Amino acid sequence: MSAGRRRRHRQLARGLVLSLQLLAAHRLRTALSVSGLLVGVAAVIVMVAIGEGAERRVLERVQGMGTNLLVVSAAPAQRVVGRPRQVPVHTMLRAADAEAIERESTLAVAAAPAVNRSMVVRWEGVNTTTMVTGTTTRGLGIRNISAASGRVFDDEDDHERRRVALLGPTVVRSLFAAANPVGRVVRVGNVPFDVVGVTRARGVDAVGVDLDDIMLVPFETATRRLLNIPYVHTLFIQARSTADLVALEHEVREILHGRYGGRSGMLAPFVIQNQATLLRTERGAAQAMNQLVVGVALLALLAGGIGILAVMLISVRERTREIGLRRALGAKRRDIQIQFVLESAMLAAGGGLAGVIAGLAAAGGAALLGPWDLVMSWRAAALGLACSTILGLVIGALPAARAARLEPIAALRAE
Amino acid sequence: MIEVDGLTRLYRRGTLETQVLKGVSFRVRRGEFVVIMGRSGSGKSTLLNILGLLDRPDGGRYLLDGADLSGADDDARSAARNRKLGFVFQQFHLLERASALRNVTLPLLYAEQDSGDSTERAERALQAVGLTHRPRHLPSELSGGEQQRVAIARALINDPAVILADEPTGNLDAQNGREILEIFRHLVDGGRTLVLVTHDRAVAERGDRVLVLDDGRIVGEEAVPTPAAGTRSDAAGAV
Repeated sequence: MSAGRRRRHRQLARGLVLSLQLLAAHRLRTALSVSGLLVGVAAVIVMVAIGEGAERRVLERVQGMGTNLLVVSAAPAQRVVGRPRQVPVHTMLRAADAEAIERESTLAVAAAPAVNRSMVVRWEGVNTTTMVTGTTTRGLGIRNISAASGRVFDDEDDHERRRVALLGPTVVRSLFAAANPVGRVVRVGNVPFDVVGVTRARGVDAVGVDLDDIMLVPFETATRRLLNIPYVHTLFIQARSTADLVALEHEVREILHGRYGGRSGMLAPFVIQNQATLLRTERGAAQAMNQLVVGVALLALLAGGIGILAVMLISVRERTREIGLRRALGAKRRDIQIQFVLESAMLAAGGGLAGVIAGLAAAGGAALLGPWDLVMSWRAAALGLACSTILGLVIGALPAARAARLEPIAALRAE
Repeated sequence: MIEVDGLTRLYRRGTLETQVLKGVSFRVRRGEFVVIMGRSGSGKSTLLNILGLLDRPDGGRYLLDGADLSGADDDARSAARNRKLGFVFQQFHLLERASALRNVTLPLLYAEQDSGDSTERAERALQAVGLTHRPRHLPSELSGGEQQRVAIARALINDPAVILADEPTGNLDAQNGREILEIFRHLVDGGRTLVLVTHDRAVAERGDRVLVLDDGRIVGEEAVPTPAAGTRSDAAGAV
């Protein structure tokens, strides 16, 4: 039995080699028949590369902000039937809330308060408007902020309310052009700040905000010396992992409600922004793109399949005598059927392989030459090849059935 | 080896019916060279198709190597063609894009028993027909006589019970035709059984026995007197 199977496999392999020789003899026709599939698969590979590049960019941006981050903001003043509320509700979040969350939450790794205000920063007659953010050293850590040159401020700076500042690269460019800002003094209003460092560039976030257009100062300095406010605008809370974010959001809500829930007139006095939700939204957009790619891929396979079908049908007609001969020499209908199905599959697999190579080459070339962010997808390449081969098997069924139906005598006599 | 009893075959085209075979009976013994001779339209091709298991008779009985395959299914008949029969056609019917060697091994693709080293077998078959020097050539690079030798080698490779040849010299010049017939004679002398169909009396005379087919019936049977070797090549010279 197993010897018989080995024999069958060997015969099949020899038959395939023979089929390849016969296909190779019709180079032009074979090339034309698979060209549609080639172009289609190549296009899909390039599209997937673009799509995955875009998705990676989104992921990097969100990760730049931290994918395991909750941002609690004071809620904007709520409108009641079109009339703005007179009481500002953002006065209620305090620095102590961050400490409480860190203390009481089981899922939070760290929490930090932050205050923000868009202000004008000056240096030697040049000025620029930027977001001045006051936060603790914890806050720097949670938001992945580190110094590219100079240093970040430390707990002592914060505690002593020192007027030290960390500038984002965008601010540095606006104020200093090429000069080194570390050691210089910039002014915000009348308050002078020593520039102690420049942050590492973080790019643009998911909604297009320039994360490098920022001036960071110690939290205590910001609240006592610059803004003179007792409250904070936002709390940054870091979860152990992205998976814990939803549970952490729930926990933080409980803790904050416990601290403020008693007050009247405070419906949802804060907003919790979940990075995971943001990521999901971005992923949704990527998925829409993916569906488009799938659509294009199906069309490409269809077009390529029709090309191969046409050539296979011509081939069966042209090789009628060969089929008759094979039948006379002992080929069963099934042998003929298998032969043509496999020839079709080999054609399609060859076209798919050429398409994968062309697509990867095009994507690779584009990534090298241009500013495009392309990701080579080996998964797409393997899938393209597999789909082409399966398509060939399916497409081959019709010509193969025709070939197998031929009567040997008639086929032998055919011209 | 072959037993045929009252074979009939009716062709229908629309309402038109043609009785191509009207009861044909004969026997071919092992190691015999039998020629079926007839004019075009005599039914000899139809008879050969039936003998070759490419067509089924409407009536009568056909035993090939002791087995009646007229009721067998397509697969069994295909297997029998592969194992028991070797075909040699007037138009050679070689695969144009495959080498001589590969053409010879073609039947092994469909063999149901292990073929061993197919290249070695093909080389031996080519040797048996005297074609050893150009095994890797394409048919288009071979002369007609060489192509027909390749076809005979292909017919031999599965060691068939019977070789069926349909006007095997019809597309060859006199010299090559003579050589092909020599090969056949050589094979029969070596114990092969051969049935050859032709309209050509000169070719027919190379057989051991000639069955004359006319209008679907065997109208005559003549034993060819076994001549001396010299006379035989004289006869072949008349081809």
